Amino acid sequence: MSQQNEKKITLDPVKFRAAVFDHMRSEDTGYSNYSYWKSTFRTFFKSKAVCALVILICGIILMSFLYPVFSDVDPTKRSLIFMDWNQKPSETHWFGTDQLGRDIWARAWYGARNSFLLGFCIALSDVGIGMIVGALWGYNRKMDPVMIELYNVMTNIPSTVYLVLLAYIMNTSFLTLFISMASRGWIVEARFFRNRILSIRDSEYNIASKCLGTSMWKIVTKNIIPHIISLIIMEAALCIPYSIGSEVFLGFVGVGMPVDAITLGNIVNQGRASFTQHPYQMLLPAAILCIITIAFYIIGNKFADASDPRNHV
Amino acid sequence: MENNQKTPILRAQNVEIKFDLRGKILTAVRGASIELYEGETLAIVGESGSGKSVFTKSFIGMLDKNGKVTGGQVFFRDEDMMKYTTEAEWLKVRGKRIAMVFQDPMTSLNPVRTIGEQIAEVIIWHFKVSHAEAKKETIEILKKVGIPNAETRYHQYPHEFSGGMRQRVVIAAAIACRPEIMICDEPTTALDVTVQAQIIQLIRDLQKELNMSVIYITHDLGVVANVAEKVAVMYAGQIVECGTVHEIFHEPVHPYTKALLRSLPQLGIRGHELYSIKGTPPNLFKEIKGDAFAPRNPDAMDIDFEEEPPVFQVSPTHYAKTWLLHPYAKEYAAQIQERDRKRSEEAAAKPVDAFDYSNAEKLLEIKNLSVSFKARGGKFKAVDNVSFDIYKGETLSLVGESGSGKTTIGRAIMRIYDKVEGDIFFDGEKITGKQTKQKMKELHMKMQMFFQDPMASLNERAKVDYIISEGLHNYHLFDHEKGRKEKVANIMREVGLSPDFASRFPHEFSGGQRQRIGIARSLVMEPEFVVADEPISALDVSIRAQIINLLNRLRQERDLTYLFIAHDLSVVRFISDRIAVITKGKIVELADCDELFAHPLHPYTKALLSAIPYPDPDVAGRNELLTYDPSMHDYDVDGPVWEEIVPGHYILGNQKELDGYRRELGL
Repeated sequence: MSQQNEKKITLDPVKFRAAVFDHMRSEDTGYSNYSYWKSTFRTFFKSKAVCALVILICGIILMSFLYPVFSDVDPTKRSLIFMDWNQKPSETHWFGTDQLGRDIWARAWYGARNSFLLGFCIALSDVGIGMIVGALWGYNRKMDPVMIELYNVMTNIPSTVYLVLLAYIMNTSFLTLFISMASRGWIVEARFFRNRILSIRDSEYNIASKCLGTSMWKIVTKNIIPHIISLIIMEAALCIPYSIGSEVFLGFVGVGMPVDAITLGNIVNQGRASFTQHPYQMLLPAAILCIITIAFYIIGNKFADASDPRNHV
Repeated sequence: MENNQKTPILRAQNVEIKFDLRGKILTAVRGASIELYEGETLAIVGESGSGKSVFTKSFIGMLDKNGKVTGGQVFFRDEDMMKYTTEAEWLKVRGKRIAMVFQDPMTSLNPVRTIGEQIAEVIIWHFKVSHAEAKKETIEILKKVGIPNAETRYHQYPHEFSGGMRQRVVIAAAIACRPEIMICDEPTTALDVTVQAQIIQLIRDLQKELNMSVIYITHDLGVVANVAEKVAVMYAGQIVECGTVHEIFHEPVHPYTKALLRSLPQLGIRGHELYSIKGTPPNLFKEIKGDAFAPRNPDAMDIDFEEEPPVFQVSPTHYAKTWLLHPYAKEYAAQIQERDRKRSEEAAAKPVDAFDYSNAEKLLEIKNLSVSFKARGGKFKAVDNVSFDIYKGETLSLVGESGSGKTTIGRAIMRIYDKVEGDIFFDGEKITGKQTKQKMKELHMKMQMFFQDPMASLNERAKVDYIISEGLHNYHLFDHEKGRKEKVANIMREVGLSPDFASRFPHEFSGGQRQRIGIARSLVMEPEFVVADEPISALDVSIRAQIINLLNRLRQERDLTYLFIAHDLSVVRFISDRIAVITKGKIVELADCDELFAHPLHPYTKALLSAIPYPDPDVAGRNELLTYDPSMHDYDVDGPVWEEIVPGHYILGNQKELDGYRRELGL
């Protein structure tokens, strides 16, 4: 028996006898440091740009809802003095005034608030209804033919035609706009969730729950939804800019909110009329709109990437 | 180290590989050394996470992006490959002089190109020959790896090949450039036993014919005994013992190797507790002090926890890293050896009675069960007219290859499917078809299931406490919250988990621990009957014995009846009373465990038995490999019947075949 690379340290013969066996120590592994949510958020916030965008969006949302607290400028206050009309951006009016002498900066924030409200409502209804229907659809094969037909019909009609028609039939109001947009979005979400649910419905842990007699409702709420919650967040985040954009578009073609309502769509639409003389009246509110929608899209997509376990390296 | 005239073709010295994993450093390989000589087959054995795959990937510069070789050298014919910096340098070696065969053949082949083109491309790239020449050469190679009709198959796409054939194609691509070394990374793990035996045979033949050196990575000691000349055992990123296959299997010196061999169910005696390695493999994120195996080794010495053992030479070809070989430990080592010898003698002396069927009650009767699934317009019969009984207290094993319908039978019994044909009776009552709520509750409590994949069978987003008490919640099997907590704690203790773990999430556990959580979840319902769906096949060798012992113990303590589903006949032999062999949705043979091994009758059973890699180099490869071709049955005129040929031994066959089987038994 030869020995290789004999250590310089002196070995104590006493050490060569049985040690106490510790059962807990043998089980001690802490096998993985992996936690889904921790890894998702670490991946998500790893990029500086995402951090900046999240702060920016939070700031804009806060600002739009708290603006009436900071400032007492009335966004609907018209001026009869000719001098107040169509003012260029200045210290008193940061975004200038429109042709009725209303402060565009204030209008933009009030408009953003209404747009956000609309966006949140649409996101809630689309994703909420979509998820419930999607769960039922995923679990019930019999719904397939009906739902697929419905999906095809609803998605093949161009959304603009549909929105314009609905908005035209009903009186223009926040509710009309909400109904016309929400009546359509849910089915796209439902199909998305159905596909996701189908892919995890038959995994072993759900079969295990079935063997234990867990009700379908509990399987959906406890086993399935927690697994797709990140998708739900992502879908909701992407729904918001889409509905804000739709509102602007409807305002633009003249079937959006009533003219006296302050929304980003109406502001942009009104600015368009005088775009050649006073481009800032449209460009500045449009800039805020762009920042909101683009930021939401980027955040939504980055979150989708981050929530994919394959990117958790 | 070695005074041999031969110089190694590949020599890795103190290789250290680190991974950056989510901001933490994982040391996957901690100073591993190995030597490979010309024309020999070296098997590297280790559990998942031992670093065996990563270690060999570093020989061809194919580490993942977040991994890095941080120390050591790898000499390939006296050239240190760790000095390579560019991809171009690696390409001169990789594929051409050192080729690699991976576990999953589908990922190594391009699905949209014919297999012939893929191999020809490799030849053109490395030898700069014309297309026609490359094609000729490719067909030669395809013939060499045992692909019939090579000329026509040259023009076929990977999806037109079966799993085993695909792996042959991958091997063909690997040997296309006549490499000096072929590294096979678990090439048969994804394949069925019968196909595995053929691939092993092929690798052995090719190695001799082309005079290659082969590095064979596997976790299966049975395969090692069949394929290797030399064996290196890897644990926690180090080669802990290395020697010829006979030295490793017959005179192991490292406690890990010894424990691994002793915990093999193939070598165990039925009815006795299997030797099991305690605990779980170490966490390589932490720094390991001393011998990595020490915390799991009941015979560890104090020194094992303090100093890393050096390499001790046992024979010119055999060395190990363990303090047991140090002169100071001589006395202690002798003590252990003496004690182990006594123990095994005692175990062998105590025979265990076989299950007594003379007055056993039927617990479950399955009559003419068929399950079909809709598939691409047509109907696919996964289970085809199957009948058998399960007696109270026995373990009946259902053995078959993938796609044979064994899991489907298990799930049909658990009433997972809405529609099945045939009847299932539990305790004399029919349980197929619509049931009342009360009846369903009773059945859910009496019948439970263990699952195969510990990773997929637990809800990742729920705490262990919820997972285990899911069934309790469903049927309100507790009076108050305290009672529920107590039940959970008791069951956790019973399966060997600390009740403190209840507030953790599944991802904090290792595979074996997760499997025990899954078992606890089912057991808390206090079932009488359990369908165990391959509960050990996804586990590491060192963990398997723990789970097998647990299942056996639970069976005795709780008087359970098991339907044990498995693909590995050799493991099943250790735990079952009766075995049913299933192929293509039909049970072809059912007999007493010993009877089946002693007198297998059906050609499929025989083929399956001949393909089992037995973990003993003296026995391995001695049996002739039999193949089973379903077309050998002539059932057009004379249909098969399910016949009890001798009491307790059932077989599927037509009258002519049955006469043949009777003759075989000497009746």
